[in-house]
Amino acid sequence: MNLRSMRESSELLTSLTNTELEFFESLSREVHLVNGEILFEEGGAAESFFIVVNGKVGLEMTSPGRVPMVIQTLGPGDLVGVSWFFPPYRWNWRARALEDTTLIAFDAAEVRKRCEVDRDLALEVQGVVAEEVVRRLHRTRIQLLDLYRTT
Amino acid sequence: MTYAARSVVSDGTTEAMLPRPFRVTSRHSETPDTVTLEFESEDGGGVSFSPGQFTMLYVFGIGEVPISISGDPHRPETLVHTVRSVGAVTAAIAALRIGDGIGIRGPYGVGWPMGEAEGNDVLLAAGGIGLAPLRPVVLDVLARRDRFDVVSLIYGSRSPVDLLFEQELHSWRSRFDMEIEVTVDRSDENWFGDVGVVTGLLPRVSFDPTKTVAMLCGPEIMMKVMANELELRGVEPERVYVSVERNMKCAIGFCGHCQFGRDFLCRDGPVLPYAQVADRLRVPEL
Repeated sequence: MNLRSMRESSELLTSLTNTELEFFESLSREVHLVNGEILFEEGGAAESFFIVVNGKVGLEMTSPGRVPMVIQTLGPGDLVGVSWFFPPYRWNWRARALEDTTLIAFDAAEVRKRCEVDRDLALEVQGVVAEEVVRRLHRTRIQLLDLYRTT
Repeated sequence: MTYAARSVVSDGTTEAMLPRPFRVTSRHSETPDTVTLEFESEDGGGVSFSPGQFTMLYVFGIGEVPISISGDPHRPETLVHTVRSVGAVTAAIAALRIGDGIGIRGPYGVGWPMGEAEGNDVLLAAGGIGLAPLRPVVLDVLARRDRFDVVSLIYGSRSPVDLLFEQELHSWRSRFDMEIEVTVDRSDENWFGDVGVVTGLLPRVSFDPTKTVAMLCGPEIMMKVMANELELRGVEPERVYVSVERNMKCAIGFCGHCQFGRDFLCRDGPVLPYAQVADRLRVPEL
C-alpha cells in the first residue's frame, strides 16, 4: 500500500514527511475483513494500529446478556486505535467490521521502539495521536449533550 | 421558478395577521413524537414559498406557532409541515387528523440561498428535526439537478427511531446524484449505519471548499461546531448559512419578540449567513 496516495484521504498522514511516510510504509500491511469480522477484542494487546482504506469499522462495547453496542463508527481515512500509544497498550473496545473493509495495519511495537530513539518522530506521532484524541473528546462531549432531545 | 424577495412584509398588517383556513389532507407519523401533515386551503389557493420559509400555524383556541415548511416548493398547491410535539400548540397540531381544520398565515421570512447555490457545490447538514426545513432544498435541488454541482446531505439524529423521512433518504440515496450520510448519537441492535456526531461525517462527503454553499439546520451548538469545522476545511463563513430560531409572534417584523441583535428573525431570517450571526450565537442572553 502506497501511503503517499492516501495522503489526501487521511488527515492523519498530511503532516508526515516523506521519510516518515516511508518508515510507516515499511511497517504496514493490508488487512481485509469481511462484514462482521472482529479486528480486535476489548482487553487484547494493542500490537497494531490501523487506517481504514475503505469500508467501515465499529467500536463496540460488549456486556454479558446484551447485544454489543456500537459507540462510534470509523470510515475511510480514519485511525482505528489509539491505545497502542499509551501504556498498558491494551484495547479498551472491541472493533468489528460493519461491512467488507480494507485497512492498513501498522506494527505498533516497532513504531514505539523507533519513537524511543527518534524524538522528532515521537513528537510527530504524539501530535497526530493527541489531535485525534482531542477530536474524539470534542465529539464525545457533543454526543453527551444529547442535542436532539425533545425537551 | 421565482423566489420570494428577501423581505416579505405585507403591505397590509391586518391582512398579514389574518390566518387562512386550511384542512389536513394527509398525515404521516415520522417518529413517536413527530408528524408530517399536508394541508390544502379551503379557499382553493396554494402557498408559493421559497425553501427555508415558515408559516404561522394557528390551532383555534390553543395558540399559534411558527413552523418551517417541509414540502416541495414545486407543488404550491399542497402545504407540508413536519411538526415535533414539544408544547401545547405543537401537541395539538401533531394530534390533528385528516379533515381537521387549522388557520395558517404566511409564508414568511428569508429562506435558503438557492440562487447563490446554483453553479456551486451544495452541502446540507441537518441535525434532528432540522432536516425538515432542509427538505424543500433537497426537493428543489433534485428537481433542477443540472443547475448544481456536487450535492451532499449529512444528517445526524438522536437514535435510529428518531430519523425523519427515512424512506425518502433511501430514495434520494438511490439516485446516485447526491451524497447522503446519516449518523445517530446512540445506536440500537437494528442499526447498521454510522454512530457518532454529524460533524464526523464531513470527511465522508466530497465538496470543493472554494465553491461550496453550506446550509446548516439543527440545534445551535451543532450548527456552530459544523460551521467551525467547515471553516477549518476552507469554506468561508460568508458561504455558510444557518437557520436561527427565536420566539416568533407576529412574523412580520413588528412585535420584536424574535429580535436577535440587529435582526428580526421572522423578517430578516430565519436563514442568515453564519458570518453575520456567529458573534451573537456566542452570547447566552440572546
